[in-house]
Amino acid sequence: MLSAANVNLSVFDTPILRNVAFEIGEGEIFGLIGESGSGKSMTAYTIMGLTPVGSKRSGRIVLDGDNLLDKTEAQMCAIRGGSVGMVFQEPMTALNPVKTIGEQVGETAMIHGAMGRREAAALARGTLDRVGLPADRFPLDRYPHELSGGQRQRVVIAMAIALRPRLLIADEPTTALDVTTQAQIIMLLRQLVSEDGMALMLITHDLGVVADIADHIAIMKDGEVVEAGETVSLFRNMTHPYSRALFEASDHVPDRTSSQATGDTPILEVADVVRDYQLPRTSLFAPPAHFRAVDGVSFTIRRGESLGLVGESGCGKSTLTRAILALEQVQGGTISIDGEPISADAEIAHRARRKMQVVFQDPYGSFNPRHRVERLVAEPFHLLSEKPSAGERRARVEAVLANVGLAAADADKYIHEFSGGQRQRVAIARALIIEPELIILDEAVSALDVSIRAQILDLLADLTARLNISYLFIAHDLSVVRAITDRVLVMKAGQIVEEGPTEQIFKAAQHPYTQALIAATPNIDRALAARSKGAAAG
Amino acid sequence: MSEVEVNRAEANEIWRSALRSRSFVIGAVVTVVFVVAALVSFLWTPYDVTELVIADRFKRPSAGHWFGTDQFGRDIFSMVMVGARTSIAVAVVAVGIGVVAGVPLGLAAAAKRDSLLDEVIMRSNDMIFSFPALLIAILITAVFGPGVVNAIIAIGIFNTPVFARLARGAALSLWTRDFLLAARVAGKGKALISLEHILPNITNLLIVQGTIQFSLGILAEAGLSYVGLGAQPPLPSWGRMLAESQTLISIAPHVAIFPGLAIVLTVLGLNLMGDGLRDILDPRLRRARN
Repeated sequence: MLSAANVNLSVFDTPILRNVAFEIGEGEIFGLIGESGSGKSMTAYTIMGLTPVGSKRSGRIVLDGDNLLDKTEAQMCAIRGGSVGMVFQEPMTALNPVKTIGEQVGETAMIHGAMGRREAAALARGTLDRVGLPADRFPLDRYPHELSGGQRQRVVIAMAIALRPRLLIADEPTTALDVTTQAQIIMLLRQLVSEDGMALMLITHDLGVVADIADHIAIMKDGEVVEAGETVSLFRNMTHPYSRALFEASDHVPDRTSSQATGDTPILEVADVVRDYQLPRTSLFAPPAHFRAVDGVSFTIRRGESLGLVGESGCGKSTLTRAILALEQVQGGTISIDGEPISADAEIAHRARRKMQVVFQDPYGSFNPRHRVERLVAEPFHLLSEKPSAGERRARVEAVLANVGLAAADADKYIHEFSGGQRQRVAIARALIIEPELIILDEAVSALDVSIRAQILDLLADLTARLNISYLFIAHDLSVVRAITDRVLVMKAGQIVEEGPTEQIFKAAQHPYTQALIAATPNIDRALAARSKGAAAG
Repeated sequence: MSEVEVNRAEANEIWRSALRSRSFVIGAVVTVVFVVAALVSFLWTPYDVTELVIADRFKRPSAGHWFGTDQFGRDIFSMVMVGARTSIAVAVVAVGIGVVAGVPLGLAAAAKRDSLLDEVIMRSNDMIFSFPALLIAILITAVFGPGVVNAIIAIGIFNTPVFARLARGAALSLWTRDFLLAARVAGKGKALISLEHILPNITNLLIVQGTIQFSLGILAEAGLSYVGLGAQPPLPSWGRMLAESQTLISIAPHVAIFPGLAIVLTVLGLNLMGDGLRDILDPRLRRARN
C-alpha cells in the first residue's frame, strides 16, 4: 500500500536520509526503530511532506499508486489528516488547550470531508467512543487539561483516525506515558488496525514495544536502514552489528558484584514521612483543601547499597525526592542522613547536602547554558566551609571528569557542546565532586537512548564499586531498576505498597499493582515467546 | 589553561564574533557617530547654536551650512549635534534608571513568587503602568518645573515596570528548570542564584528590551520637548526642532528632515547593535555561527 524506494533527504546540503526503502501492506504494523538522530522521525515527516526549510528530496514514496513526493503543498494538505494520519509523542502539547476535545476531533472532518458542524460532532463522538473515551465520562465539551496523559493521547489518536486514514503514523506515541498506560495505548492501536484495516507505522526507540505488535520492522542508523525484515525472524537472527548492539543494550545489566552494602550502617533513614500540599483556595470562607502527596513513607538505605524507588507519574516519588534533599519541609515524620535529622532550615539543609547530591532526568535542562563545565561541576563547592583555591578547584574538577570518563579539556567547554549522554556524565561529575555518601538519581537515565543508557549504568556500577557510594535510584521504568539496584520499593498514591530484594520482586511480586507494572513493562523475550507460541497454535 | 587565560580566550572570541556580525558593526558605527557628534558638540560646533542671523534664514543645505539654516538663521548641523547630546543623555539615563530599579525588583518578585513581596512589587508596577507616560511627565514637570532632568526622571519611572515585568516573567520560567534546583542542592540561596544563574540567562532579553526602551526614550524625550516639557530653549533638542518646524515643512522641508533623520538613524543603529549584541553574548549562538 505504501512503498518507499531510494528516498534521500538533505537539509542545507547535510544529508539526513540515505536510500531509505520500505514497504507497508494493508492492515500491517510496521515498526521503525532507531536512536535519536537516526532519521526515523524525519522519515515520517518526509512521508507527510513536512520537511524543514532548505530540504532537498529525491526518490519515491508511493501511497496507493501516487508518488507523494510529486504532490504540491495544496494536494498534501488534502492527504494529511485524510488518507494519512499522524500521532505525535507529547500528548501534553499536541492538543490546543483552549479548544474542547470534540472541536479538535471534529475539526479534521470539517476541513477534509466538507462536513457540517452537526455531522462533525457526531463523527467526533463516534471516534472518541472507539478510542475508549465513552460519552458518559468524556462528553465532547471536555478540555484537554481535564484529561490525564493517556486520555489525551487517546484524543490525539482519535483526531488522527477520525476520517479512517489508509495509513497511521505514530511517532513515539507512548514514550511520554507510564508503562501501564503505554500498554493500553499499544492495545488500542492494535485494535484500531484490525478494525479499520489501515496500515500503522510505529516509530519508536523501544525494541520491546515493537517486538510485541509489529509485523515487520526496520532498524535505522545515521539516516540509513541497516536491517529490515519480518519481526520474529529478525529478532532471532540479527546480522548487522548495530542492530545486535541495540538489542543487547536494551536489556543491559551492568557488571556488579551484588550488594556491596557494608554491614548495616544506615546512610539514609526515612521514617513515616508525610508531605501535604495546600491546594489553592476555592472559596474565601472554606479552608483550603489538602493533597497528601507522600503518605507515611519509611525506608532505609545502607552504606554502599543501591535502592530503587519505582512508581508511575503522580505517585509522589519526586515530592519525596525534594523532601529528602531538604528543598521542601515535611509535615510529619523524620528524614535523617548519617544519623543527623534533615529539615528545610537553611543551616541544617546546608550540612545535609554535603552528604548527598542529585542527578536529574533532563540532561538538557539541568545546566546553566552560560557557564563553562568547570564552573558547573564546581558548583557544589559552595557547600564547603573552606572553598578550594582556583588551582585546587581545577585539579579536582579534572579528577572528577576523569572519574566519569570525560577529558580534562572538557572543563573549558560549554554544555551545549556535549551530547545527551555526555551531559549526564557531567551531571554525575557535579554530584560526585564533594564526595557525597548518597547520590539521588531522579529518572537519571530515562531520557537517554538505550546504548547511552547502558554506558551510564555501567559507569554508575563502576563508581559504586570504587567509591562505595549509595544510590537512591528513582524511576518509572522497572527494567532499568532491575539492572542496577539491590532492593526495590514500589510506590503508589503516596504510599509504599511493596518492598524487597530486586530479584525477588521481579520473580514473585506480591502486590497486584507491582504485578501489573511488571506485566506492562515491554519485554522482548516474553513478547517473542508469546508470538512463537501463538504462531504454533494458529 | 588558567582562569585568566580562559577569560582572555573568551574575550578574544567575543571580539572576533562581534566583528563578523554585520548588524552589530553597522549599528555600532551609526551609534558611535552620534555619540561622537554629541561629545564633540561640547568643545566645538560649526556655528553657535544660540546665534540668530535672521538674514540667513531658510538657507538650503550648502557648503557653508551643511544641513541649511532654520527660521532664525541658526545652523541646523550644529543644532543636531547639540541635540544628540540631550537625546542620548536623556535616553541612556532613563533606561539606566529603568534597569537598575526594575530588574532587581522583578528578580525579587520571581524568587518570592506569590508572596506578599511579589504582590506589592507587581501591583505598584501596575499602578505606574496605568498612567500614560506623558501624564507622569506632566505631573512631575507641574511639580518641579520643566527641564531635562525632570524629563529623565519621568521617562525613567515609566521604564521601571517594563523591566520589572520582563525580568520577573523570564525568571519565573527559569525557576522551574533543573539547573536552579541543582544550584539549590549545592546550597546556594535565592539571592545568589538570581545573581549567578538567572541574570546571565535573561541578559539577552534585557538587551533587546533595553534597545527598544532606548529608542522609546529618545522618542519620549522628543515628544516631551515637542509639547514644551523637555529641554528648554535655547538648548536645542531633536524633538523641539521637529515641533518648531512642522508649520514650515512646505516652505523649508530640510528644517524638519534633518532632526527627523537623526532620530530615525539613532533608533535604527541602536536596534541593530542590540540585536547583534544579543547573539554575540550567547555562547550557544556564538558557536552556532562559527
